[in-house]
Amino acid sequence: MKNKLQKLKDEILEQLNQVKSSELLLEIENQYLSRKGRLGELMKEIKDLSADAKKEVGQIANETKNEIMKRYEEVKQKFEMGRNKNAFTDVTLPGKNLAAGHIHPITLIQKELEDLFTSLGFILLDGPELESDYYNFEALNVSKNHPARDMQDTFYVDKKNPAGEYDLVMRTQTSPVQVRALEKYGAPLRGISVGRVFRSEATDVRHEHTFYQMEGLMVGENITFADMKGVLELVGKKLYGPKTELRMRPKFYPFVEPGSNGEYTCFLCHGKGCRVCKHSGWLEIVGCGLIHPDVLRAGGVDPKKYTGFAFGFGLNRLVMLKYGIDDIRLFNGGDLRFLEQF
Amino acid sequence: MLLSLNWLKDHVSLPKSATPAELAKRLTLHTVEVEKTENQAERFDKVIVAKILSIKKHPNADRLQIAQVTTGKDELTIVCGAPNIAPDQLVPLAQIGAILPNGLEIKEAEVRGEKSQGMLCAEDELGLGHDHSGIMILEKAKVGQSFASYLKLNDIIIEVDNKSLSNRPDLWGHYGIAREIGAIFEAKVKEIDLQDVKLESGGKKKSKDKNELQPLDIKIEDSKLCPRYTAIRIDNIQVKESPEWLQERLVAVGLKPINNIVDITNYVMLELGQPLHAFDAAKVEKIVVRSAKKNEGITTLDEKERKLEDGQLLITDGNQPIAIAGIMGGNNSAISNETKSIIIESANFDAATIRKGSTKLNLRTDASMRFEKALDPYLTESALKLAVKLIQKDNKKIVIASQLTDIFPTPPQAPEIELDLSWLNKIAGAEIAADQAKKILSSLGFGLTVKGKNHDGGEILLVKVPSWRATKDIAIKEDLVEEVLRLYGYNNLPAQLPQVAMEAPETNEDRILEHKIQTILAKENHLSETYNYSFTNEEELKKLNLDFTNYIKLVNPISKQHTLLRQNLVLGLINNVKTNQHKYDTIGLFEIGGVFFNVFGNIKKDNSGNDERLPYQEKQLGIVLASDDKEIFTQAKSIIQSLVHGLISPQTETVFAPTDTIVGYADKNLKATISVLGKNIGTISQLSEEGKKNNSLKKNVVLAELSFKELLNLSLNYGYKTYQPVPKYPPIVRDLAFVVDEKILYNDIKDAIKGFHQLIASVELFDVYSGDKLGAGKKNLAFHVVYQSEEKTLTTEEIDAIQKDLIKNLEAKFEAQIRNF
Repeated sequence: MKNKLQKLKDEILEQLNQVKSSELLLEIENQYLSRKGRLGELMKEIKDLSADAKKEVGQIANETKNEIMKRYEEVKQKFEMGRNKNAFTDVTLPGKNLAAGHIHPITLIQKELEDLFTSLGFILLDGPELESDYYNFEALNVSKNHPARDMQDTFYVDKKNPAGEYDLVMRTQTSPVQVRALEKYGAPLRGISVGRVFRSEATDVRHEHTFYQMEGLMVGENITFADMKGVLELVGKKLYGPKTELRMRPKFYPFVEPGSNGEYTCFLCHGKGCRVCKHSGWLEIVGCGLIHPDVLRAGGVDPKKYTGFAFGFGLNRLVMLKYGIDDIRLFNGGDLRFLEQF
Repeated sequence: MLLSLNWLKDHVSLPKSATPAELAKRLTLHTVEVEKTENQAERFDKVIVAKILSIKKHPNADRLQIAQVTTGKDELTIVCGAPNIAPDQLVPLAQIGAILPNGLEIKEAEVRGEKSQGMLCAEDELGLGHDHSGIMILEKAKVGQSFASYLKLNDIIIEVDNKSLSNRPDLWGHYGIAREIGAIFEAKVKEIDLQDVKLESGGKKKSKDKNELQPLDIKIEDSKLCPRYTAIRIDNIQVKESPEWLQERLVAVGLKPINNIVDITNYVMLELGQPLHAFDAAKVEKIVVRSAKKNEGITTLDEKERKLEDGQLLITDGNQPIAIAGIMGGNNSAISNETKSIIIESANFDAATIRKGSTKLNLRTDASMRFEKALDPYLTESALKLAVKLIQKDNKKIVIASQLTDIFPTPPQAPEIELDLSWLNKIAGAEIAADQAKKILSSLGFGLTVKGKNHDGGEILLVKVPSWRATKDIAIKEDLVEEVLRLYGYNNLPAQLPQVAMEAPETNEDRILEHKIQTILAKENHLSETYNYSFTNEEELKKLNLDFTNYIKLVNPISKQHTLLRQNLVLGLINNVKTNQHKYDTIGLFEIGGVFFNVFGNIKKDNSGNDERLPYQEKQLGIVLASDDKEIFTQAKSIIQSLVHGLISPQTETVFAPTDTIVGYADKNLKATISVLGKNIGTISQLSEEGKKNNSLKKNVVLAELSFKELLNLSLNYGYKTYQPVPKYPPIVRDLAFVVDEKILYNDIKDAIKGFHQLIASVELFDVYSGDKLGAGKKNLAFHVVYQSEEKTLTTEEIDAIQKDLIKNLEAKFEAQIRNF
């Protein structure tokens, strides 16, 4: 038995020493080393030996097997290493395309602005989209005869007040949230409100009856025009880079006084003038002003004690500028070819 | 509005530094938005007067000629198609590089083999008329002269955005803008000289003496609607073409000259902002200003018959309307070439009445645009005097035939506002010197008196508002702050970040949840976020078998598609599938958006204390999956489970239960309610075949509607995770498969297994099968049943015993036929 083992060992080792390819190695494995290979068969015979012999031969058999297997592994490794050295892999082959979902571009810019303002301590405020005439206009100092209240500009719904007037509107701006927030939180307050607003306007490439705004306000005991400029400058730099400048000019809004318009250095041409900024070097981005005392009063805040500023952005415009989108209707069009680009 | 720089210069002497570009910029930064400035001459850059030397036939084209022309410097060869040219004529030549008003760029060209070094122009090619019959033949021109100088074009036209003028009634004429320019550039503004216009007035009837003029017979029914009416009659008029200077002025700012009388009234309007109207006096005995009666009508100057509505303010001759006040005159009293005698009206009307009237008539005119801004009532007299002056200048023979009749029952007082200059600096956050602030206000026409000093020594002013700013523009001290700051320059004010106490903002849980949902659905479940309109219509609802009767309607929809306020997100999502179905195999979308119900909610309508509420509105989450795959209903359920795991916890179970609540569009076998932790959070359903057909959908469509409010409640109340100690003892898993009737619900079987013994820690379905082998109406379910004890290692014998009882129980309860593994 010992001899048989010795002989088989020599034979196998000899074969292993001479083997030239991994295919031949596989043959050796099948012939000798697999369960029904010659080594396996021989070892099965051990169980028929006497107890003493079993013990002795068993040990030798194990040692023999280990030695063979060690050598086998060495040879195998040599082939594998050789193969790895020579095999070619096309590393330019693409990975698998995993399915992907997409977040609406307005949501993306909304999140960006929310993060900026919450980092400055602004509350995120909300208000209803179907709003009362009172909060949408009256409390914001928009007089009964103001053109904005025309049916041509504002969607009214079929609910009348006791005086027989339609008094519910699809909010035309996010500004009503200002008054609701002042009523709820009082002064001091700083907050922003992002949301959907509506105008009764026929749609085309540049006009939509449904669009998105961001409104912000800050009210306190010593809030100044200079503070407003400081915050808006900061917003400009965050949106369009540290070299962005703010240019302000007078503009009338009923709910602010003084009222202003804010333009930022065009991010595309850096002020030199290009198609995007209509060759002015400036992008008109924000409407702003010191909150009108009537609006503070409507919110239950004493304008003798407190002042504040408010500002608003059109989100569609921000997104359109950022991505070069030229048709505003894409935002509410539900076309996946548009949505999946974000 | 278009402004002529030459015209402005009549009133204000601009410093040399004020180039047109600088003027435009400073106007924009301090007063109104200038949209563009155009040098009239630039329109004809590289167009000059040339003289034709000789003409010969084109060798290769019968209709073309070849002209040899001189520009005084060069001789050029030009191919020309017009037949009317001859040697020695002076003609406009567009040289190479010229861009004509119609956009045509002139290049060196070969026309049928002959070189052409420019183009001779017809009227229409130069944007000067419609004549294309031949080349313009010029008289009194000099060879080589620029065409612009031949046309005497030397003006700069400034275009101002009308919207930026909406709160400034005083800026609707050149004089008002000149006043602003004077304040911006610290330049002197000349007053309009009306000293030599001496007109009798007084309003009293005089004896019928030949030398004494009578007042006109004017009656105002409601002086609220017409606070002032000033008019005069002029005889011996000759209606003819206006003098050249007047025509040039009007054309420069885009108005068409008509005749001397109409042109003068327009000129005064463009000068002072006060619209005038001239009636043919032969057709107007007296003037009564009143509101329209029912069924009244008028044919206006544009020859349109107009029905008048209640409340429309009219000028009548005591009987029938002769003009729609402040909007447009009537045909019946219009100036014609035969008119010998006129009445000129210079009136002030209530802004809101004019605006409403013009909106109702859908008729906006230069006059109505101005009146609706609330004009200064003190303007009517000077405007009328200016008109008389110009008419006199044009025709010395005219006769003033009435008193200057002025009905002005309650002249308003100039408002006075107290302004504390220290307070001004405080809210500006700036240090503007008192002298500078005062200089700004005076330059804008405000009257200033120092009333006193406040405790820190700053001056307190009493500011008298000039009449042209008092109608609606300036009423409170904050308005004065704007005046000072805008002229000081917003951009010259300092900028600083507010100094406030540090505070953590209150968390907006709604928004956090919204962004979590967006992330989970888009990034983990590969859906795309969509935004749909908040509106729907009856047709869409009908197509989905949904009741449309209790929807809130838009009073003034702008399209048939958007007439009702949506009550679910499904309609929009189905439209999205329709939009995309031909381009994508699978479509997965979601929307978070507002829906509106025809019942009262919790949000108050105003702060009057009468407790009125807005209609109920809430946010919803809608999900749609569309594909040809039959398993899409299960896929959609997986997405909802994933959402619940993400929002609440990975252990939270989503339960789908059959429902009898009819959803009009759902397949009756494929609809379920969704609940989590015992709370109903929404529904899921597959669109029925009928629904697919009605909406022209080819794919299988599954829709889920989830309540945002419930998701928020769940995530706030259960959204925390408590650590469960890792089991000390190994679990034993037994698989269990059996056949039951297909109508027996998974939910019931699962509950029965899980509740069977306390050692059963969890039950997981790993296979469902139904098919011919099992026989009709049967299904096979296979579960992993996990046994776990917290106290000891379970033994096989123990578990075998429980499993045996469990099987018996299932056999008894569900008539389950157990299958062996």
